[in-house]
Amino acid sequence: MSDAEFVHAYDVVGADFTNAGRASTGIKETLKHMGLPSTLIRRVAIAAYEAEMNLVMYARRGTMTLRVTPNDVTIDVRDEGPGIPDIALAMQEGYSTATPEMRELGFGAGMGLPNIKRNTDDFMITSQVDRGTSLVMTVHMS
Amino acid sequence: MSRTAETGGKTRAGAGPAGVLSLADVRAAVNGVALWCPDDAPAVTGVVAADLMSDVLVDARPGFVLVTGLVNVQVIRTAAIADLAAVVFARGKAVPDDVIDLARQMNVPVFASHESLFEAAGRLYALVGNRPAGAGPRRQA
Repeated sequence: MSDAEFVHAYDVVGADFTNAGRASTGIKETLKHMGLPSTLIRRVAIAAYEAEMNLVMYARRGTMTLRVTPNDVTIDVRDEGPGIPDIALAMQEGYSTATPEMRELGFGAGMGLPNIKRNTDDFMITSQVDRGTSLVMTVHMS
Repeated sequence: MSRTAETGGKTRAGAGPAGVLSLADVRAAVNGVALWCPDDAPAVTGVVAADLMSDVLVDARPGFVLVTGLVNVQVIRTAAIADLAAVVFARGKAVPDDVIDLARQMNVPVFASHESLFEAAGRLYALVGNRPAGAGPRRQA
């Protein structure tokens, strides 16, 4: 890790709906304290929040690692969970496997992954069924 | 699906500082009660009405007021993440203490209204969509 790099990891627990969103809130507060542009912070925060809600709704546990360099902000999300059998299908707006309980929270409408992609400059998703899913989301400073 | 309206007609450019809505305007329009609102409440740039928080994250812009029939802590977290000006809980639903406590903690003004979501959204649409730039002094919520 270079001196110009900030790294912080947040643990996220699956099905903990009371605390869902705390990691993303922490990420947003950290970026605000760094004095980054509000437009960039909002994009990162929305992408992080969607990813965190997905993790809480579907996975057993996971981590969200915030990495800030002079050039970009990256969030690496790794979870232990059921994985995604068909990523292309999951990326389609409106496709969802959410339960009624998840929908009662106001999520699970099949907009999460497309909204992450919309708010980031680079977005990579990999998944293994019955193992877990990994997202790497990057927003450039300029 | 959510619906949005912005101040100063259909474009953000029309909302000059003197024409910006206050939360007092919003509260009056929906016959609302302030459950928590700080003295330095932000100005309102538009309105979004939705029960799906993912739709809010797609459609809302900073400074929007969220009108919703959904009542839980995720509404407050969504409002904070998306830099919304306030939340109006419609349909007269009881708002639990943990929701109000989180709103206070995250500095998100919250109001309760007995109007239906349709009625509240309609009144705010009329207020926001027809408000000319430069109209009226700002009031405190």
